[in-house]
Amino acid sequence: MSATARLKTNATPAASASLPATIVATPASGFQASRSATSARELNGILRLLTCGSVDDGKSTLIGRLLFDASDLYDDQRATIERSKLAGGSGQPDFSLLVDGLAAEREQGITIDIAWRYFDTEKRRFVVIDSPGHEQYTRNMASGASHADVAIMLVDARSGIKKQTRRHAAILDLVGVRRVVLAVNKMDLVDFDQAKFNAIAADFAALTQRFGFNEAIAIPLSAVHGDNVARRSAHTPWYTGPTLLEHLDSLPSRVSQAGGAFRMPVQTVLRDGLDFRGLAGTVTAGAVCVGDRIVDALSGQSSRVLRIATMGRDLEMARAGQAVAIQLEHDLDIARGAVLSGAGPEPVTATSLDVRFVWLNEAAFDPKAAYLLRTATDLVPIAKLQVDALLDLESLTTRAASDCGMNDIALAHIDLGRASAVDAFGDLPDTGCFMIVDTLTGASVAGGVVTAAHEGALRAAPNHTADAFVLSRERLAGLCADLGDSMADQAERERRAHEVMALFAAAGVAAALKL
Amino acid sequence: MTAGISHLDLLEAEAIHIFREAAAQFRKPVLMYSIGKDSTVLLHLARKAFFPQKPPFPLLHIDTTWKFREMIAFRDKTVRDFGLDLITYSNQDGLDRNVNPFDYSPSVYTDVMKTAALKQALDLHGFDAAFGGARRDEEASRAKERVFSFRAAGHRWDPRKQRPEMWRLLNGRLGAGETVRVFPLSNWTERDVWRYIQREKLDIVPLYLAAERPTIERGGQLLVVDDERMRLLPGEKPLVQSVRFRTLGCYPLTAAVRSMASDLETVVTETLTAKTSERQGRLIDHDESGAMEKKKQEGYF
Repeated sequence: MSATARLKTNATPAASASLPATIVATPASGFQASRSATSARELNGILRLLTCGSVDDGKSTLIGRLLFDASDLYDDQRATIERSKLAGGSGQPDFSLLVDGLAAEREQGITIDIAWRYFDTEKRRFVVIDSPGHEQYTRNMASGASHADVAIMLVDARSGIKKQTRRHAAILDLVGVRRVVLAVNKMDLVDFDQAKFNAIAADFAALTQRFGFNEAIAIPLSAVHGDNVARRSAHTPWYTGPTLLEHLDSLPSRVSQAGGAFRMPVQTVLRDGLDFRGLAGTVTAGAVCVGDRIVDALSGQSSRVLRIATMGRDLEMARAGQAVAIQLEHDLDIARGAVLSGAGPEPVTATSLDVRFVWLNEAAFDPKAAYLLRTATDLVPIAKLQVDALLDLESLTTRAASDCGMNDIALAHIDLGRASAVDAFGDLPDTGCFMIVDTLTGASVAGGVVTAAHEGALRAAPNHTADAFVLSRERLAGLCADLGDSMADQAERERRAHEVMALFAAAGVAAALKL
Repeated sequence: MTAGISHLDLLEAEAIHIFREAAAQFRKPVLMYSIGKDSTVLLHLARKAFFPQKPPFPLLHIDTTWKFREMIAFRDKTVRDFGLDLITYSNQDGLDRNVNPFDYSPSVYTDVMKTAALKQALDLHGFDAAFGGARRDEEASRAKERVFSFRAAGHRWDPRKQRPEMWRLLNGRLGAGETVRVFPLSNWTERDVWRYIQREKLDIVPLYLAAERPTIERGGQLLVVDDERMRLLPGEKPLVQSVRFRTLGCYPLTAAVRSMASDLETVVTETLTAKTSERQGRLIDHDESGAMEKKKQEGYF
């Protein structure tokens, strides 16, 4: 994963209007033809997209519309939609029927879990991850988002960016989604007003700048009527950007970008009873070739690749996304949990971690309970888990805390019972993410990312703020030179400090606020 | 870059990853082998995941005794050819009470001969994990299924108690009384299964290929008379015509489609351009609205 790939496209309305130069415009009719055209051939890759938004923003309708207009739906599914025109009374088809699943949620009229949908266009497979909009389901959204290459954030054109949009952006950023699209839905209900759209797009640009997104664009559309979803709308002549589908078809997937340092977490060791001993795993980043030097950071041992075995044929090279078994020249004592690396930086042999996680479980964090850390393939006892702060998703600031419960996003420090090989999530996501597991019940109580991994002896002061840059009143003196000590000035000083904190967070700098 | 890594390559790698994670984490896994095309793909991926070893778990076939004869022959040949361990299990109590697809509604029959039988077999052998070929694209309630699907004591599936799954991490630590169903084909579609069978040149049960078979039409569905146990209604007379199956189960409950596609290439072409989803051919799902979800809560696969 290239650390320099963090350039941002700050999508102001003007910027998104000038984007089409880089987008290959594909006529919507091309997607309609996909069923016959795809036939037996294989598709070039998979793009996983997450949809998030409030219950009333029309999320299910948008996904249903995408499936209806652009994918290889079966005729019985199409017939269901045609029939729904009569049922609703409005004469409009109910596209959400293609998406809503469980009986329990149909009865409640809300989406309570993540649903997965699949469709093919000419170029590729799309996986739609539909996640719930309700605040109490932040955990579901976070788990859905962790699988996504791109997120579609949905807002109602009449109400624009909400608190919830901000929450969602923070969660997307946390779990590593680097591309976001703002779908400004229900444009038909504001008469396709350009000024309304521009104002929302500007708010979105201001919001997304605070995070580490590589790309953020806004698209005006109407899911019910299909405007700018799969076909260009005649109602928005002022909008020259891509339709939603054109944009999605042009995006790279996450696995295609997993270049850089080689990593393969070892899942299991395979033997044939003779001289074959293969380290089995999926390459999560980079590539490895026969003859390459391989290092096991945990044991410090190294050897060269003798053979890359799969059933049917041996490979000369294996790269990110491939599941293989690697035989080494020397039979090293390597087991499940090891992370193989090659030339270049090795994973950290960590005994303590600075982390951010979403608490997923209904039972709150219990300092007396026993927890385990599940990394790519390792399962390590947690010696100490200390919550330092909680992230306020609305203000995007942190406040000191030592407890956390369901749907909280915590900054914490973890001391491990023994060393484990991990990377910083920002560098190598697949070897920098983890679940926290309740030892007793086995429940996945939290999912999170490593912000910093520490080697060797346990730190004397396991305090998250210890190695963070402290933003003190003194350091802010220049920025706040015009402020005195009145209540209003204090409030203004605090506001500026939080803005600076947000900028630091976007730049990936750990900072603590002490005014 | 992914140039060269097709979506099938990615799906294959993901399934192998899931197999290896489950085999490493669970004490006593088993592969649910139902002989159909999904099981064929599942078994092939299991063999790939552990090559050059054999898969480190047996196959389990729940035999309702109403499967097509060609399915049983195919099952036995597959096990022999690959040198695998096969466990077959039938619900003896159901057989004693003569629970059959004619005298009982599809839902009662399925509950006794499939769901109860599966639970009994898993309990009898103490399997803590069972691989299945279920896919999220099959049915609405399955669209929300996890890769590691946890079942409480008594094999009950509670959609609200499923564990969140993040990134590629799979947490297989079991709580007291819990077992798990593992779905390596979660992200595959019906078309992917066919594309993969074609690409890997896999043998499948001949029932998937069109041939002249004795059929009767009942309730708009085309049934094949596989043996003398088929009960004909007054006026019904088997008509020999060229048909094939898109999905396989118990023969009195599985509908065929008229087709001349007698080789794999043609079947795949027909399937990839099909106009209706596959479970239309499986009578159990039409029994009542939300049928599959109810069956899952009771422990159906």
